[in-house]
Amino acid sequence: MNLTKIFVCENSIDGIFTAIYQAWSSGYGHANVKIEEECEKNTYSNIQLFSDYIHVKTNIEQALMVSRSIKTKISLQVYEMVCRVALSNYQGKGDLIYRFLVLGFHIGKDIIGHLSNEIVNKIFKINRYVNNEVHHLLGFIRFTEQDNGVLASIIHPKNNILSLVTPHFVDRLPKEKFIILDGDRGLCSIYIPKKPWVLAEVPVMDSYSYDKDIANGDDEYQDLWKIFFDSIAIKERINPKLQRNNLPIRFRRDMTEFFITDKNS
Amino acid sequence: MIIQEAMTIQRKLEILSDAAKYDVACTSSGVNRKGKDSSIGNSLASGICHSFSADGRCISLLKILFTNECIFDCKYCFNRSSNDVVRASFTPEEICELTIEFYRRNYIEGLFLSSGIMVSPNHTMELIFQALRMLREDYNFNGYIHCKTIPGTDQALIEAIGWYADRMSINLELPTASSLKKLAPHKSRNNILKPMRQIQLRRDMNKDYLGIYDRSLDSKHTRANKISASNTKLLLPSKEDSKNIDNSNQLTHNTTNSNKSFTKELSQAMASTSTLSPYWKPPSASSRYVPAGQSTQMIIGATEESDLHIMSVSEALYDNFDLKRVFYSAFMNVNQDNLLPSTENGPPLLREHRLYQADWLLRFYGFKTRELLSESKPNFNIFLDPKCDWALRHLEQFPIEVNKADYFTLLRVPGIGVNSARRIIMARKNSALDFKDLKKMGIVLKRAVYFITCKGKMLYPVKLNEDFITRELIADNKKLPFGIDKDITYKQLSFFDDVSFQINNK
Repeated sequence: MNLTKIFVCENSIDGIFTAIYQAWSSGYGHANVKIEEECEKNTYSNIQLFSDYIHVKTNIEQALMVSRSIKTKISLQVYEMVCRVALSNYQGKGDLIYRFLVLGFHIGKDIIGHLSNEIVNKIFKINRYVNNEVHHLLGFIRFTEQDNGVLASIIHPKNNILSLVTPHFVDRLPKEKFIILDGDRGLCSIYIPKKPWVLAEVPVMDSYSYDKDIANGDDEYQDLWKIFFDSIAIKERINPKLQRNNLPIRFRRDMTEFFITDKNS
Repeated sequence: MIIQEAMTIQRKLEILSDAAKYDVACTSSGVNRKGKDSSIGNSLASGICHSFSADGRCISLLKILFTNECIFDCKYCFNRSSNDVVRASFTPEEICELTIEFYRRNYIEGLFLSSGIMVSPNHTMELIFQALRMLREDYNFNGYIHCKTIPGTDQALIEAIGWYADRMSINLELPTASSLKKLAPHKSRNNILKPMRQIQLRRDMNKDYLGIYDRSLDSKHTRANKISASNTKLLLPSKEDSKNIDNSNQLTHNTTNSNKSFTKELSQAMASTSTLSPYWKPPSASSRYVPAGQSTQMIIGATEESDLHIMSVSEALYDNFDLKRVFYSAFMNVNQDNLLPSTENGPPLLREHRLYQADWLLRFYGFKTRELLSESKPNFNIFLDPKCDWALRHLEQFPIEVNKADYFTLLRVPGIGVNSARRIIMARKNSALDFKDLKKMGIVLKRAVYFITCKGKMLYPVKLNEDFITRELIADNKKLPFGIDKDITYKQLSFFDDVSFQINNK
């Protein structure tokens, strides 16, 4: 009996790429390998019968080899798509990327046109989903100025998109010190002028306390922004459904204009 | 009228953003600009929405008036000189501070600066110019700036401001010169079209100078008359110039007199700026003049004009003035002025929506106003969107084979938009598409199903009959955007009336 080899890897681009490298070069054959990433909350992984579990230790060199081959043998665009999928919250993305790359190395850069193929279609959709969230957050991220002049922001995105939004703000605010915190994943990106930005881990504490610290009610421009936000709406056209459609409720907990002022209470 | 000297910045912001809210445009799109080490800000061609206000409209820019003092008395405007409202003005410094501080906190994408008219158009525009220059040069702001032009501003000022703004716009306000005269006695058509022309010519010159190739101009190859004469020729009156005007005459050759008069105004405006305009030294050699182009805005429903009329005007503006956008603003009688129609039942949102739909058809789908509307049917169908409506009147052109039709033919199918058409063309290179493939690709078949075949077959055996399809389409007309469906009053169904019968008589 043929046992399926399941490569279990870290939930990161490097982790998934390492697993892909090892699964590919293991010689078991595409049909007999499977990739499973340790997911964020580890709730879905069912141990499968008749299969071997192989734990993959993330190896940067192997991961780099995979990314280099994708860039040179397929295309930069496909590489970016794959990275976004690797950062998504899709369960089983590791295996999906593996299947996609099998096709990709065979067909080449035109692979993205094969939308009627199940796997390509899935990749296309996840990629769009991640992209949309990134675009949303480019607008919806709110910085508050801390007493020491640092701009701080907290977000709770569905996908792990911190590394996708940060470059935008580095380009935009080259003279500011800022920090963006992913409240659910215990990750943050930090930027100090004239230095490359970094991604760092922070202990996941009670995320509520972060919320409070970052909200910093003393920043006077928060009030001005709220005044502007309220007076710019046209009363005759009030339309909460449209507002909700354009700005889903899940983003609002981190947005200054929707904070409930607790000055009175 | 009370002018308070010591007003807090909070109060000023409240008054001057409240007064600016009727300006529709809040787009931050059209220009890609990387950040610079020495400054703050960048710009993305796609534009970024930063929030959505309670009316569901996007907030992208800090939309404020410089002042709401005004010497003009436009009937529809809340800030008209005859209204007794609290007046306030910003100083250029206050505007800069607000913009920079909001921008740092990622509240906004940039500044949208409009204004009432204080003392004179030139006086006000000079203050605006000061503010913009200060923002760009002293505060090193590199984000997006949209600036409104006041009709009657001196050419030299417009020339100067254009180097500091990304987009400039001058409101057309009303579709005809006569309505404008009636409702905005201080503005004239010529005063509006002339600066528009000036900015257009200057942009073209600047693009030529920098060697920028504008793909957007190229992609609109369906346009009947592109400005064919080279830009330098347009600066001087030439034979070709008048030929162009003839062209546009043919294009908007309408039996309605008012449309003819608009064409005449167009040609006047085109001819009148044929003289060389004043020159302002660009801030740097690589500066771009109004890189995100121009837009304008019309009020819908304050006067009698038909949709046909409004769309012809828009079309003429797109074709002759290279505008990026024309915005439509459903009229609200904020002054309860008895010269104007009452809007007790809410502003005409559905009409506004239909106009935007048609506007998209003009700009991205290769449609012409004449195809959508005619003298016998000068207004859009309430029940169906303009493209569906057109398709139903041209059933002889359907069904279309998805695997063979070219891009612009695909775009004519109701339910298939720019994205869907592109995706179809990309995917069908690899394999012939079936309905289930289309579904997988996210193409909405609800309306398209009546108009397309895949590999020679329709999804269901459908009768290509106008009444039948109309009834089917109206039956699931849940597609109206939130909130504007209340405009439609539903009728009791009976055996004997056919909905399409009413529509035909409209």
